[in-house]
Amino acid sequence: MAEQKRRVLVVDDASLVRLYYRTVLEDGGFEVDEALNGIEALEKLTVSPVDLLIIDINMPQMDGLTFLASLRRREPPLSSIPALVSSTESRQEDFAAARRAGANFYLTKPVSRETLVEFSSLLSGGSPPSGKSG
Amino acid sequence: MCDFLYRRTGMVFTEAKRYYVDRRVVDRMLATGAASFTSYFARLRSDLQNEVEQFINAFTINETYFYREDHHLRCLTSDLLAERIRTKKPGEAIRIWSAPCSTGEEPYSIAIWLLENWALADSYDIEIVGSDIDTSALEAAREGTFGRRALMRLTPELIEKYFEPVGPERWRIAESLRQSILLTSVNIVDSTQTRAYGKFDVIFCRNVLIYFDDTSRRIVAENLYESLSPGGYICLGHSESMSRISPLFEVCRFADAIVYRRPRDGGHG
Amino acid sequence: MPLIRSRSDKPGADRPPGDLRAALLSGSPEERWRAARTVAEMGADAPLLTQALELEEDSRVREAIFTGLARIATPEAALAALPYLRSDDANLRAGALDALRMMPEASRPHLKALLRDPDADVRLLACDLLRGQATSEATLMLTALLETEPEANVCAAAVEVLAEVGGPLAVPSLQRCAHRFRSDPFLGFAIKHVIDRLGSPSSVAGD
Repeated sequence: MAEQKRRVLVVDDASLVRLYYRTVLEDGGFEVDEALNGIEALEKLTVSPVDLLIIDINMPQMDGLTFLASLRRREPPLSSIPALVSSTESRQEDFAAARRAGANFYLTKPVSRETLVEFSSLLSGGSPPSGKSG
Repeated sequence: MCDFLYRRTGMVFTEAKRYYVDRRVVDRMLATGAASFTSYFARLRSDLQNEVEQFINAFTINETYFYREDHHLRCLTSDLLAERIRTKKPGEAIRIWSAPCSTGEEPYSIAIWLLENWALADSYDIEIVGSDIDTSALEAAREGTFGRRALMRLTPELIEKYFEPVGPERWRIAESLRQSILLTSVNIVDSTQTRAYGKFDVIFCRNVLIYFDDTSRRIVAENLYESLSPGGYICLGHSESMSRISPLFEVCRFADAIVYRRPRDGGHG
Repeated sequence: MPLIRSRSDKPGADRPPGDLRAALLSGSPEERWRAARTVAEMGADAPLLTQALELEEDSRVREAIFTGLARIATPEAALAALPYLRSDDANLRAGALDALRMMPEASRPHLKALLRDPDADVRLLACDLLRGQATSEATLMLTALLETEPEANVCAAAVEVLAEVGGPLAVPSLQRCAHRFRSDPFLGFAIKHVIDRLGSPSSVAGD
């Protein structure tokens, strides 16, 4: 019960998406922070790293794939934070581009609660999070 | 609404600041006679009678003073200058720009701070330039006379060392400092003006970008980028972030501050 | 004393590139970046910037070109940015959208068509452009979209903007949309949240 919560940074310019992910993930036992785009995400990550990034693609000033590629060029531990790309884009080229940028997984929106929690758990540490009854 | 303000001004509001936002909203609703938050927000969105600027003015601390936001000054001597001197050629000056400089507190603060706190100050030529669009503020900066509030964060020893009393509750900064800092009129949105000043190692551009619209902010970011040497740094105000302005700069975190850097090499991969 | 007064002018600091077109189309990245800015500063040469944009692959230079188009802000400039909303390259899409956001007047004539574009991805991105338009117009167009839009994600983008610009009048359209997409995991959540907020005019400084 004293297990430390895993930390997720949700990077999406849509406030409602951030709210949805926050609500679902907090229910799922995660600690959640938010950023409006990749530049803000980098500012937050340099202060405190996280266990998982959930990144949108279409964002102002810097798209999510540019941000992710830039992150992967940084020093550890920033460069190796697991990244789940969550976007409305759904073509094969989009999946391939995300992989090239360094994404660990790709979920097409809309993402159900169960899927979000399941993949967040898997990517951030392997075992399901504690604190939520089935 | 915080999202709207962020988009419009680039100002970031943490949970701790929410209380201040709420208070300012109530103030402005009273001042504008808004019947409801919805009608006030519509006014804000349409920027009726410059409401955005009114709101920002109600929110930001307009008065300036010596050693304001000194975490940037600490960052300067702890980290930024050490990085910059690594690539300096012999005889090459350190150049710092305070833009906007308003009535001079910022460039003079930088000067005093460096003289007091940078161990290597005597090993380098340091050029500090202060620029503002407000010519009457520049006049005051050149005059170099300040009241008690402006000096409130300085120790009596510093005031004794760098100022002379010139009247009841008025102090004038030492002539040597007034002479050694260039104060000029510049509109930072105008690149023909900004380009005239060459390349800087560090630029302080604090608490002014929030007043600009998106296009002007972008243009200023590009102008300041041009005015930085590769690897040079820019410091924004405490509520400001490049995230709503431009992807040109790299985010750098140091112990005392988050600053932005023009990349050292030409590319970005 | 280590402080020395800067000279008030730096000779040669403001030498614009000699042949602007050549610099823009075939110079080094640094030269192209500078040329793009200069073209926009000097006047409204949207066609030249448009041509440069077609060839440019460096994202920093692209960004300077997009900013340049936003500065020019003529109908031509908006037209130049529009096609890139469809690009496969996320960086180009972001740049185009940033540019169009910065020129709301020049973008306005195109919004109706964008919201009816056959490509759902384009409709989705276009919703965000309504944010920069007058509240009444934005609300009208977005609520109209909610009535007939077949894609849930596009509706979600519209709802996101209505959260900012909408008022109680938007609520019926939102409710009907929520009903149409009852099985969408996100849209119901989002619409409920927005209706709760829009329905309470006395709320202060919600985000």
